[in-house]
Amino acid sequence: MVEISSDVIRGYNDTMILYILMKEPSYGYEISKQIRTISDEKYIIKETTLYSAFTRMEKNGHIESFTADQDPNGNGKKRTYYRITDAGRQYYREKCEEWGLTKDVVEKFIEQ
Amino acid sequence: METIKNYLEAMFAGMPNTAEVRKAKAELLQMMEDKFNELIAEGKPENTAVGTVISEFGNLDELAEDLNLTKEVEETRTRESETPRRNITIDDATAFFANRGKKATFLALGVMFCIISIACPILFGEKLENISAAMMFTCIAIGVGCIIYSSFVDAEWKFLNKELCRIDMATANFIKERRRSFESTRALCVTIGVILCVVCWVPNIVETYIGLNVAPALMFLLVGIGVFLIIYSSKIYSGFEKLLKLNDINTISGSYYEQNISPVRYKSKIAQTIVEIYWPVITCIYLIISFLTFNWGLTWIIWPIAGVLHRAVVINCRADEE
Repeated sequence: MVEISSDVIRGYNDTMILYILMKEPSYGYEISKQIRTISDEKYIIKETTLYSAFTRMEKNGHIESFTADQDPNGNGKKRTYYRITDAGRQYYREKCEEWGLTKDVVEKFIEQ
Repeated sequence: METIKNYLEAMFAGMPNTAEVRKAKAELLQMMEDKFNELIAEGKPENTAVGTVISEFGNLDELAEDLNLTKEVEETRTRESETPRRNITIDDATAFFANRGKKATFLALGVMFCIISIACPILFGEKLENISAAMMFTCIAIGVGCIIYSSFVDAEWKFLNKELCRIDMATANFIKERRRSFESTRALCVTIGVILCVVCWVPNIVETYIGLNVAPALMFLLVGIGVFLIIYSSKIYSGFEKLLKLNDINTISGSYYEQNISPVRYKSKIAQTIVEIYWPVITCIYLIISFLTFNWGLTWIIWPIAGVLHRAVVINCRADEE
């Protein structure tokens, strides 16, 4: 069975996370679940990869974190949520363009 | 969930203890917990859920890089390899507690024999001076022997005081469980011990009515047994504390000891004051009544009564735990 290479996808973890955060703010497990669902269970992001991406993007100003109750009628336990920033949206656009280019180039060398 | 926590604990063992790392650990635990709960909710057996969560965790090298911790991780690893902390496993802890029991028994016996030795000359009096002196010194010899032996019996565990050691979370939980189950035994031992020390005067009072000569000797016997119970239970209890205190600021998990102590909260400021002044007030009452009536033979009854009442007062004044 072919598995996705973490080296290749690494540069695009940020893109996936930003795509999900564009819709609404979300938290760790929810984001990893969405990546899994959207990719038709073909890509399962590791917890450490996800958390690394969060810290890196927060440092670069692409996302912001905030704490909120787990659910409205919650048990009082706080959870860290992430939301996208304007810089993040711009970065996402750039990454999309970059992928378009990358895909075009790589595609030319692929023989089905 | 325990397995997952232990796994995370082990993964972070080599990481430096900084705020960033602690945050990362907490966040990762949260994600793992969410995933675990969802798998369980889907009806997966616990073992499968644990397996899935652990296999999808990833590794920390990548995280260390992103947190700019590569240098610190290296330092921690170097420190670990230069001055490795000795890991105390559950088996070690079990062996330590068995040894601790032996040490506690001999130490407590030793002190008890030394106290009882005084009873010998009282018991045999001047009539059998030689025998009573011989018995007294025999008791002292046995007592001192026991005490010396007790200080050697745990020689193989002396390294706990000299070397850096650590315990993992599973061991910490095991020790806390042992400590919890010993709690009632300890309470019983200390209570009986204190009562024996307090009622040691009873034989003297009885003597004045019945005329038995053994009373003073019996007094030392009661104190001896009382002290035995107190030393024995305290020594064993301090064994649990000792192991729980092994971890310190340099171990990523922090100290397991402090986590366990939550500040006691009271219902109100007045309730807190009542609990705080309880024993000083009882002491005053005891002294005042005793000096006024001069009936020292009876006023000691205040102490056991106050002891029982104290529990009731504390329970009523403490705020309910969440």
